[in-house]
Amino acid sequence: MFPWFKKKKSARIAKDRLQIAIMSDRASSDFPFMEELKRDIIEVIKKYKGVSNIEIKKASDKDTEAISIEVELE
Amino acid sequence: MSKVIAVISGKGGVGKTTTTANLGLGIAMQMKQCVVVDFDIGQRNLDMILGLENRVVYDMVQVMDGEATLEQALIRSKANRNLYFLPASQTKDKSVLDSEKISNLLQELRKKFEYVILDAPAGIESGFEHTIEFADAAIIVVNPEVSSIRDSDRAIGILDSKSQKAKDGHEVEKMLIINRIDPEMVERGEMLEADDILEILGIELLGVVPEDRGVIDASNQGQPIILNEKSDAGKAYKRIAKRICGIKVAVEHPKVRKKGLVGKLKGIFS
Repeated sequence: MFPWFKKKKSARIAKDRLQIAIMSDRASSDFPFMEELKRDIIEVIKKYKGVSNIEIKKASDKDTEAISIEVELE
Repeated sequence: MSKVIAVISGKGGVGKTTTTANLGLGIAMQMKQCVVVDFDIGQRNLDMILGLENRVVYDMVQVMDGEATLEQALIRSKANRNLYFLPASQTKDKSVLDSEKISNLLQELRKKFEYVILDAPAGIESGFEHTIEFADAAIIVVNPEVSSIRDSDRAIGILDSKSQKAKDGHEVEKMLIINRIDPEMVERGEMLEADDILEILGIELLGVVPEDRGVIDASNQGQPIILNEKSDAGKAYKRIAKRICGIKVAVEHPKVRKKGLVGKLKGIFS
């Protein structure tokens, strides 16, 4: 009734919150091929040196997707 | 050519089963042979919405296990003779589902029907994964509300990584239905509008269904709302069904009903 007293419209707040929440959901979910990739990398490195631990992390933002791979050798 | 379409949502209670029932009937009204399959093992509901609960004898798990034939289990709708229904098992749990058996069942259904519509269980667990596994396309049902939209994005993520089509390197067709939109709330800025939801989820819009009190009344009677010629939600479902059948129909966005003087006064004082 009194638009000059109105706060920010809640639909706008919902949109902003959803965009952030979904972006973070998408960034933290693994690629479906992570486990296979892990196995393959271990196979390749094992030809040269033993592997004691391997960690693959997904990192992504709006435009790019990347993975970081950390291999701990024996 | 037949098409297998999974109806999914992520969150429960957004109108997935209602949508499945109405679209099944809508497709049948377009003179297409259509079957709707309830994949919600242990929580059978599509039979009630379709008004066919008293005619269930065999269920899809019994068909998959060879205890009944597909012909014995399929139930033909009274409302439209082109529509058939395959019930879920009410006694077993979703662990009975098995990829190979589902693949075989869907192959059988593809031979008989042009459209095979699968009503997925809520959530993103194994029952859901089995529903989307062999689908050609998915209809995502959301309400214009934060938890429904967020959960649907998770379901879409699983669809894109775990369906057979995605594993084969193809994209699964995705179509969004925004259900229960209230144009008055949208106008007041109290509800997300269709464009915002499309922007957030980044998928194609199949249709918008307005909030309609008649939906409960329809499910009370087992007569899906699409059978009610006057209902706004029914008309929206009819247009969506046509679009699924490849007929070009413009997407109609629900509009605020023009009020008389009394309505306007009520609006001011509410």
